Amino acid sequence: MMNEAGFIFSPEQLKYKFSEHHPFNQKRLILTIDLLEKVNALDTNTILPARMATDSELLLIHDEDYIRAVKDASAGKTTASFATKYGIGTEDTPVFPDMHEAAAWLVGGTLSAVDLVFEHGFKHALNLGGGLHHGFRGKASGFCVYNDSSIAIEYMRRKYQARVLYIDTDAHHGDGVQWAFYDDPEVCTISLHESGRFLFPGTGSVNERGTGDGYGYSFNVPLEAFTEDNSFLYAYEKIFREVTKFFKPDVIITQNGADAHCFDPLTHLCGTTKMFFEIPKLAHELAHEYCDGRWIAVGGGGYDIWRVVPRAWSALWLEMTEQTSILKEPIPESWISRWQSESKETLPTSWYDEDSICPVIPRRNEIKRKNERTLQSALKSIKERRRK
Amino acid sequence: MMVQDIMIKDVIFIDEATSIKEAFDKMEHHRIRHLPVVNKEMEIIGILSDRDIRKASPSILEDWRYELLDRPVNEIMNKNVITALPFDFVEEAANTMMEHQISCLPIEDNGQLIGIITDTDLLKTLVKLTGADMPSSRLEIEVPNESGMLSEVASLIKKHNINIQSVLVYPGKELDKKILVFRLQTMNLRPLTQSIKNIGYKVLWPDLEMKI
Repeated sequence: MMNEAGFIFSPEQLKYKFSEHHPFNQKRLILTIDLLEKVNALDTNTILPARMATDSELLLIHDEDYIRAVKDASAGKTTASFATKYGIGTEDTPVFPDMHEAAAWLVGGTLSAVDLVFEHGFKHALNLGGGLHHGFRGKASGFCVYNDSSIAIEYMRRKYQARVLYIDTDAHHGDGVQWAFYDDPEVCTISLHESGRFLFPGTGSVNERGTGDGYGYSFNVPLEAFTEDNSFLYAYEKIFREVTKFFKPDVIITQNGADAHCFDPLTHLCGTTKMFFEIPKLAHELAHEYCDGRWIAVGGGGYDIWRVVPRAWSALWLEMTEQTSILKEPIPESWISRWQSESKETLPTSWYDEDSICPVIPRRNEIKRKNERTLQSALKSIKERRRK
Repeated sequence: MMVQDIMIKDVIFIDEATSIKEAFDKMEHHRIRHLPVVNKEMEIIGILSDRDIRKASPSILEDWRYELLDRPVNEIMNKNVITALPFDFVEEAANTMMEHQISCLPIEDNGQLIGIITDTDLLKTLVKLTGADMPSSRLEIEVPNESGMLSEVASLIKKHNINIQSVLVYPGKELDKKILVFRLQTMNLRPLTQSIKNIGYKVLWPDLEMKI
């Protein structure tokens, strides 16, 4: 198991904190690491540090004036136009002290993950502090300042000429990453998300397939509100397998937002933890089949930080390190008693959720059928290519 | 928004001596369905649609007389061209197209062809007007049909420090109601929807019960 997979974390990543009551809460990282420790799946001495991304690394994707604006905002120098021009100082992305440094540490974590895989002989690497997929070249959006995945992809393109497959299972459309490589046929993006009719950012329609040379290299599967595990996983497996077979990547990067769960307060999908156990399983399999194991995983959204994210993200590491037999055991009493007093919700006692946590959805079959149609439409460009 | 803001300026056109076959090839090549016909002074003298060509083509069921397609387009083009002006409002142009049941409008300035808009351009504009092409969340509220409602809700949005991407106001099913649809630059609508409910307005979307 050793050196097969690397777990990246640095305390500096916890400083990415907008405010006390903001839904984006990096306490998730502490809760996850503590859970992994208590099930003996992660020795904290083996955790590898992140680093702070340099300005030239940020410039791989972001505009110079935007980076300057983030730095100014970090230092308390903001003007009213920052909110509209750069998306900084809004309700979603308020300014906080050392915002630039904290955001650059999240990026650096994902870059460290890339280095482990391409330089240090690791097969897989995990940076749960990354996954900030809404960050645009010149604008913060949806809780995201710098887009670590976009930067890491560009970094891999330039340094290793790698063909990169990015797959995003966050409940929100992975817009920042998609638009950054929309015309690039060497980077393929897949996003499964709750349909933009229901949820931020509104984009990610099935017809967004890329442009110019990049046409046919962006895939979107917008799912109906109240989509459940089976329908989600069916679409996920189908599109991930088909696209990987067609694109033949050198490396897979997965964005593992944990907000498609029915407990998540910001979205309307209806998953259970089963979804988060199955998602990395397939990524792991395909990375070995096509990429000699090269798999980089990052975090993302996830706003039920007590009941959902620690289990979902721990399972990601368990899959990476082939320790999934732990999922059959109960959640350790020691973890529950350590954190229960801080959580308003009763902490879960098992890894798998009971089916009863999801509401009964009368439209279930209709939702399934709609998602199936969307999936077929998403695969259209591959089918067209085959016909030619 | 004016027609000149959305029109295609790089117009593909033909003259009246062009053969039907050439016109057809041009449409295929550029993947368009309409070709304005102009004279030497660039004045619009006709319009040719793919339907006009189809009407003039022989049936696939009989032997083709290909020489028919060498005839000039002025024999089949529509000479009564409905046009719009660059300073017309987009909604006027849309109305004209609906009224005449046509899907394209050449734009003229002093009789000369300077642009064209089609139903596709109007749909693109609709997407833009509704703000659905920018990162945003959709909020739909039912308010009484009285003055000041939009301003009240808008100031609440301002209090939450959220930028408005777009707003649409339209009459509700009942006469005493109006519907406000906002596209807002925020990922988290919950605090705002709570404030709106607190002052007594009905949030129609995101409305979860409706969907279950």
